[in-house]
Amino acid sequence: MFRNSKKPLLLIVFAILASLLFSFSTHHEYAHGQSVTNPILFGEIIDAQNTPVAGVEVLAETQGEKISSAISQPDGRYAVEFTEDIPDEVTIIYERAHFQNITISLDPDQINDLENGITVVIPKFTLERKIGPAFWIATVVFIVVLVLIAGGITHNTLAALVGASTLFAISYLGHPLNENLYIFDFAGSIQYIDWNVIFLIMGMMMYIAIVEHTGIFQWMAFIAYKTSRGKMLILLPILMLITGIASAFLDNVTTMLLMTPITVQIALSVGINPLALLMPEVMASNVIGVSTLVGTPTNILIGSYANISFNGFLQNQTPGVLMAFSGLVIYSIFIYKKDLNEAHEASETLINKLEERGKITQPDHLKKAGWIGAGMLILFIFGERIHLLPSVTAIIGATALLLWIRPNIEEMIEAVDWTTLVFFMSLFIVVGAVQEVGLISVIADWIGKLVGDSLLLAMLAITWLSAILSMVIANIPFTAAILPVVGFLSANVPGAEGKVLFFCLSIGAALGGNGSLIGASANMVTAGIADAAGYKISYTYFLKKGLPAVLITVGLAFIWLLIRFY
Amino acid sequence: MSGIICAVRGGPASQPTIEKAIDLAKETNLLLRFLYVVNLDFLSHTQISRTSMILDELNQMGEFILLTTQEKAKRQGVNTEAVIRHGNVREEIIELAKEIEADYVVLGLPVGEKEKNVFIMERIKEFGNLIEEESGAKIVLSGGDEL
Repeated sequence: MFRNSKKPLLLIVFAILASLLFSFSTHHEYAHGQSVTNPILFGEIIDAQNTPVAGVEVLAETQGEKISSAISQPDGRYAVEFTEDIPDEVTIIYERAHFQNITISLDPDQINDLENGITVVIPKFTLERKIGPAFWIATVVFIVVLVLIAGGITHNTLAALVGASTLFAISYLGHPLNENLYIFDFAGSIQYIDWNVIFLIMGMMMYIAIVEHTGIFQWMAFIAYKTSRGKMLILLPILMLITGIASAFLDNVTTMLLMTPITVQIALSVGINPLALLMPEVMASNVIGVSTLVGTPTNILIGSYANISFNGFLQNQTPGVLMAFSGLVIYSIFIYKKDLNEAHEASETLINKLEERGKITQPDHLKKAGWIGAGMLILFIFGERIHLLPSVTAIIGATALLLWIRPNIEEMIEAVDWTTLVFFMSLFIVVGAVQEVGLISVIADWIGKLVGDSLLLAMLAITWLSAILSMVIANIPFTAAILPVVGFLSANVPGAEGKVLFFCLSIGAALGGNGSLIGASANMVTAGIADAAGYKISYTYFLKKGLPAVLITVGLAFIWLLIRFY
Repeated sequence: MSGIICAVRGGPASQPTIEKAIDLAKETNLLLRFLYVVNLDFLSHTQISRTSMILDELNQMGEFILLTTQEKAKRQGVNTEAVIRHGNVREEIIELAKEIEADYVVLGLPVGEKEKNVFIMERIKEFGNLIEEESGAKIVLSGGDEL
């Protein structure tokens, strides 16, 4: 019985082995035959910034008749395979929107090689940019979006959405009338959306949505108040530190949304101007948030673009951030000392009310969020060893928390700030358009000429330019737009390979946000809530208090970057 | 029902209005209601949409602001009530005045702009007239007399 049953099994094994052998030999023969019989023309295309150009249509023609073609890949390389006989004359035409077309003729030796089945390699060459109507239209749309956001004329999301829609409308409706109006198609625009950023923000939002209802922020603020025993010079640094550390792991806007109301209540109960606590808090949030990948939206953008891990930010920025924070604490005490000294003892009714507010409302949820948060932190720190993207960690963590807590899923989905996600997606498209038409290349070229080969000049330019521009235009659109420029400088300035210029951008963009009311979304939220309590933070007020803070904090953090990288 | 309505925003600019309302309550012996309106218009310039959480937070802050105001009135021997509403400040003042058939609504003037800014003064008077028309309540300006 045993011997009988073994026979069919052996037959099956033999059949599988035979078919594998057959398929391998067929495949091998085919592959081998292909490399011998079909000659290939290889090449690589770059732009003036030494960046590979993808999507170039490479056409092989003879006397105006197409004989083969290929499209350049994201690394700028292409391979034109000739499946028919090679004619005596072969012309290669390179075509891509927003670039000048190039035509070259293969010389007799190259044609001879192709005829003999020998692969021909064309030396790497540069495709020159073409500045046409599309360039100017995309540039104007980009500037209009920045002005709408900076001027607070429309909702940020609406501004970015209007920009993206205008670009599509011009590309699709204008293109049939004039081919120079083409910017990009829908599929091309989608490629500019950084999905790692979108999913990381979404995952963190879902996690935060659970944490924010636990009362942890209010509890920490009340504990800070109790610990300081009403001494404002002790309370201020503690509140700044709490806000800062929370901002390093959660987003700044949520941190300030939760910290501002309780801070106003503490300030009112001791009879001081709440701005004396709120301004240092929001500035600390912008400063300390920069020490981690998930601390600021600008770091999320930078980390994803430059492939800087959670550890990368932590190791390279934290000492500089601590220096900047120390400077900020001293500065804050100096400018608000008079206000802080006006504090009096709070009445019993108000203390009771504060205590009531300063309670953990959902201890079970907080405990579970703590465990999941710790797990996420471990994955953020060690995940890079297994190529685990931060967005994947955030989504896994958020989902695990939802499974564990089982909240009302509709409420949780509502808690995701979809407007922010739409803002980011639309912004990526608007910034992608100016990349596509070559504006970013022009800027990169200009800055490249300005800094030359000097790493110090490049560091100074990126840090301070980002800090200044983040005050004028909100730091998120600015960072999204400047990233390719920093990428270009990092590839071309000697000594910048260690991503130092990205850290300069991170410091400048986030800390520069302290210089003006519109510099960071957290500033606007803080000002809005303070205004609702009757304490107005005007543009001038913010500038007056924030500008010296920017000089101090960016200066100190820059010193650290010099020590670390120069 | 009847009484006095005083819309409070908090901050130094509200203090003269609160004082005026407390004085009026002492004079008339009417119940003083402090009103705080939670308004989320400031979010229109950001990309935030999580309004329910922010409403909760501002609600709590409003309660606290009203508590400090009520304490102030209590110290002067005036008993008060606190009312929190959500939405447009002007509409909510009118709505409450109609609901409780208020006798008086105390309105504040922006600090330092009483004489300087005729436009603001005109707008407040216009608003006061609207409240009177809609609810029948008399308007008292913190820096002056009844309209």
